Amino acid sequence: MSEQSISKSVTADSAVAARARQLSSATAQATILRRRIFSGLSLVVIYLFLIIMTIFALFPIYYVIQASLNGAQSLYTTTLQLLPQPITLANYGYMFTHYPIFAWIGNTVLVCGLSTLIGLIFSMTGAYALSRFRFKGREVTLNLLLALQAFPGLLAITAYYYLLQFLGLLNTAPLIGLALVYAAGSLVFGCWNIKGYFDTLPIELEQAAMVDGASHTQAFLRVTLPLAAPALAASALFMFVGGWNEFALANFILNSNQSGSNLTFILGLYGLQTTYQTPWGYFAAGSVIISVPLMLVFLYAQRFFQSGLTIGGVKG
Amino acid sequence: MLQVRRRTIFFYMLPMIVTIAIINLSPILYTFYLSLTNNTEFNNSYNFVGLQNYINLILSTNSDLYPVLGSTILYVIVCVALFLIIGTLTALALNNPKVKGLPFWRMVLLIPWAAPSAITALIWKFLFNETFGPINQIARVFFGPKFNIPWLSSPFWAFAAVVIVNVWLSYPFFTVVILGALQSIPQELNEAANVDGANALQRFIQIKLPLLRPAITPAAILSAITTFQMFNTVYLITQGGPITNAAKPGATSFVMVYMYNQVLGGGLANIHYAFIASFAITMFIILGAITFMARSFGPRNKEALA
Repeated sequence: MSEQSISKSVTADSAVAARARQLSSATAQATILRRRIFSGLSLVVIYLFLIIMTIFALFPIYYVIQASLNGAQSLYTTTLQLLPQPITLANYGYMFTHYPIFAWIGNTVLVCGLSTLIGLIFSMTGAYALSRFRFKGREVTLNLLLALQAFPGLLAITAYYYLLQFLGLLNTAPLIGLALVYAAGSLVFGCWNIKGYFDTLPIELEQAAMVDGASHTQAFLRVTLPLAAPALAASALFMFVGGWNEFALANFILNSNQSGSNLTFILGLYGLQTTYQTPWGYFAAGSVIISVPLMLVFLYAQRFFQSGLTIGGVKG
Repeated sequence: MLQVRRRTIFFYMLPMIVTIAIINLSPILYTFYLSLTNNTEFNNSYNFVGLQNYINLILSTNSDLYPVLGSTILYVIVCVALFLIIGTLTALALNNPKVKGLPFWRMVLLIPWAAPSAITALIWKFLFNETFGPINQIARVFFGPKFNIPWLSSPFWAFAAVVIVNVWLSYPFFTVVILGALQSIPQELNEAANVDGANALQRFIQIKLPLLRPAITPAAILSAITTFQMFNTVYLITQGGPITNAAKPGATSFVMVYMYNQVLGGGLANIHYAFIASFAITMFIILGAITFMARSFGPRNKEALA
């Protein structure tokens, strides 16, 4: 591979070489030769680096997939074993039959979906007003939003407990309560991101629609929102994934028996891993079940992030 | 700007403002109120004590605040430095037209970005397992059967472990940001410098780096803030441990993990809600100050566009 790449790089360098040849001095020739060798060497280093990074990036994923296909007990050895032997789907079967996986998925989708819905709809209208209208209290609201962004919900964990108790959700509908807590974060994040995107859309489009007889609401719903679709999609995805990944507040609010069916997926998996009797193969199967759909959606949606997130000015 | 009646503005803002008031502001205000009392788990008829909790937190000599803040800041510095280094190197490699199969490398290197962080943390926890974890198993292949890295039981290695996992999760974001910025640099600049005899390193430092800064700075500040607040990765792997001295917080008890352990950690005789609240409000002030400062460092004022 290195031989080939060296010769490739030599041809690629020929444009530079041609230009330099005009100088027609011996020192220039020497420099070019040195540079060719150097660039060939550096290409080898680059490939080495890429290979190392690929191993780093893929190893945990590869390992968990092979572990999920492995006979569950055979993971507990002190010698290295990187291929499943024998390959079996028993771990997956066991997960589906012995744990309330569908309840976990359902709970997670309910909590994340609800918080994304609240976060998206409420931040959409608010962001529109902050982007398009000038009113008393606008600056205060923007600064407030910025300050709230600096406040991770986890800091107010005791207060959330009392708030949900006050709203009567803690014992009757803890999942709804959890969705509300997540919505708090989603709302602030969404408002910033979507406002940033609205700011980049020319206001003339709505003015034109309104000259044609559309009302404010029509201009907002029919002109602005469709144009902001990339930002809305990216924000929604980040809100959803944020909830999917959240552990601390979920553990605090849904704190009950760890094998129960009222948990979100991550709590269920955590419970699996902390009880040492559980073979790790089951856990690996569970994490593959939950991660793969999400990763596919994420990798597919990644093309929209470039416009939906970077233009919106919120990154991370 | 659109001219509208006040009622319309009110209609647009109301849902957001009401929701924020209930689920964002009221918990913060309640936490602040709590921080001024002496409320504990067994002291339900608590009194107002003014700033006493803050005085204990900030001025007391054996306060946990400084060790916790110190280890958190060290964690932020190490992590963000590694994000920048690895993000830049991967972006440079992916921006090199001589490298074959760029779309493949690009996709592979971005995969950790898509991985759900909480599950990833639980997976890494097993990879770090001293006896059965594959990392030590691989090391044993090279360094003999006695070789053992005490990943989760030594303070140094536990710290290294949570750094590695955070780097794994976060470097792709920097790769994307820096790659985007690199691709916006006109190729002519690079070629001109090449003709003028600048080597690759000189070209990078003198031409690319200054042009990358507007993209890197906000990304670095944002990551610093999210790393400061890191909970999942750390808690799920180390629970804030290992604890080497019972009176001191564990080696990876960063601010959020410390707080969580103070509220929910087992073995606490009497949960001191008021004191924890004062810790939370102090963190809020620090994070808020950083956020507002970061905003004024920002490359451009978004408001000017509106």
